[in-house]
Amino acid sequence: PLLSHSAGTGALAQWVLVELQGEVEPRQSRDLPGSLLGDLHYTCEGVPVLIVGHHILYGKVVQLEKPFAVLVKQGGAPQPSPTEPHGHYTVTALIKTKLLFKTRPKPIITHVPKKV
Amino acid sequence: AAVRSRAEVDATLQTAKLNPAELLPVVHCLSFGPQAGGGECCLLQLEPGLCAELEAGRSLVIRGEKDEHAVLCSKDKTYDMKIADTSNMLLFVPGCKTPEELNADPSSCNIIHSQIAGFSKNYWELRRCRPKLKKLRKLLMEDPYKGPDSQKDQTSTFSKYTTEDLLSLIQASEEEILHQLQVIDACKIEGYWRILDFDYQMKLLNHVTQLIDSESWPLSKVPLCACLEELGSLEPREMIEHTLLSYGRKYVDDAGEVFFEMLEDKICRAVAQMLLQNAVKFNLSEFEEVWQQSVPEGMTTRLDQLQGLALVDKSSRPETIFLLKVEDLPEDNQERFNSLFGIRQKWTEVDITPYIRDLCAEKQTVGALLTKYARSSMLNGVKVYNSRRPIS
Repeated sequence: PLLSHSAGTGALAQWVLVELQGEVEPRQSRDLPGSLLGDLHYTCEGVPVLIVGHHILYGKVVQLEKPFAVLVKQGGAPQPSPTEPHGHYTVTALIKTKLLFKTRPKPIITHVPKKV
Repeated sequence: AAVRSRAEVDATLQTAKLNPAELLPVVHCLSFGPQAGGGECCLLQLEPGLCAELEAGRSLVIRGEKDEHAVLCSKDKTYDMKIADTSNMLLFVPGCKTPEELNADPSSCNIIHSQIAGFSKNYWELRRCRPKLKKLRKLLMEDPYKGPDSQKDQTSTFSKYTTEDLLSLIQASEEEILHQLQVIDACKIEGYWRILDFDYQMKLLNHVTQLIDSESWPLSKVPLCACLEELGSLEPREMIEHTLLSYGRKYVDDAGEVFFEMLEDKICRAVAQMLLQNAVKFNLSEFEEVWQQSVPEGMTTRLDQLQGLALVDKSSRPETIFLLKVEDLPEDNQERFNSLFGIRQKWTEVDITPYIRDLCAEKQTVGALLTKYARSSMLNGVKVYNSRRPIS
């Protein structure tokens, strides 16, 4: 199976990897597609800050020593199994940078109940 | 789903007690794209050089039939593929800018809506490996070419392979395959890659060496044209030329004429194979005598010409020699060593090296292989290697 350049001519798209600890779960029980993950900011020093739900995550920008290629399976065939990648793939994009969020998320305390 | 507004973003910042003055003005609102959960996207970690190849517009190919582990091939290299699990979630985000990009290009907008294209907890890892070329010889040996006369009797039940066929069947890069075809002296006949049957090769070589002898040509200056003229009536001209290319080094003199410098080592080796293939083993000194007499006038035989082809048994009285071709042995490292230790329990480094040299990975030495797959001991003052495990 051929991994070919998707666009044919022109530069490959450059995407970014966002690496988070643990699972990503939507707040509502809706399906994932279309749902919001959160807001990504950068400090003036270039530190990425991700606000997800009630959490603030601080991360860092990492230039990948080994870039990734994003492969998209063609033809609507069943998912590539983890053991054997048979099938047709297209290289859709390259990833040279990742935003790594490894610090424990800081919860956003929105309401502190007053003691009576 | 409603698109998030700048006002909502600012409200969140306030709730989070983050000071907008300490942040760059642009926010990325990340949401999951329509395909995000589909699992159709996956990540492939690129070894050095592959990224540049993709950016230059070249393709990478995954090769392997259902019963084989898949490999990835660039134009000239082969890589094993393995899944690597991380404990983290990897999201792939198109159109997401880094702080550097934002600072370099201050845009008028302050909100970017980025859709996460996919996510994964694992990715494909690559590791450079030896191209799996044993299959190439196996395929071509299904139907070795025995000359134009025999072809008429052949029913064409045997498979024949074009370059494209080989590319789809062999787990190696194109360059590695083409190089190996040259190494094994394959040739294209009617568009198909063929290996010449050994006896037919010897027949052709004999024609050439007898002609060299009768014409008294120096072994280093055998003229192509004269060969084709003299021998063209006996065998196809392409086969004569192929023999010269296989057993000689081609060059052109100042007058533009094509000559061949005959390769002594290769010819002596072929003659040895011809002699050895007819029996299980030979008395060494008898063999050496017959061998020297059988090679063309002016050529000298030496045992080191037979590395990877034949093995001398110095422990037998008298000493014997037998055929053992490295290309007949298993391709997998552990299986190769098992096979060698099955043939002989203890090996010196000198004896075993020709039979394991081809297993060395890019920067690996024979010594490293021996450390990994064998155990050493001393025998009569000489270092020998034997199996790490009991061989039945």
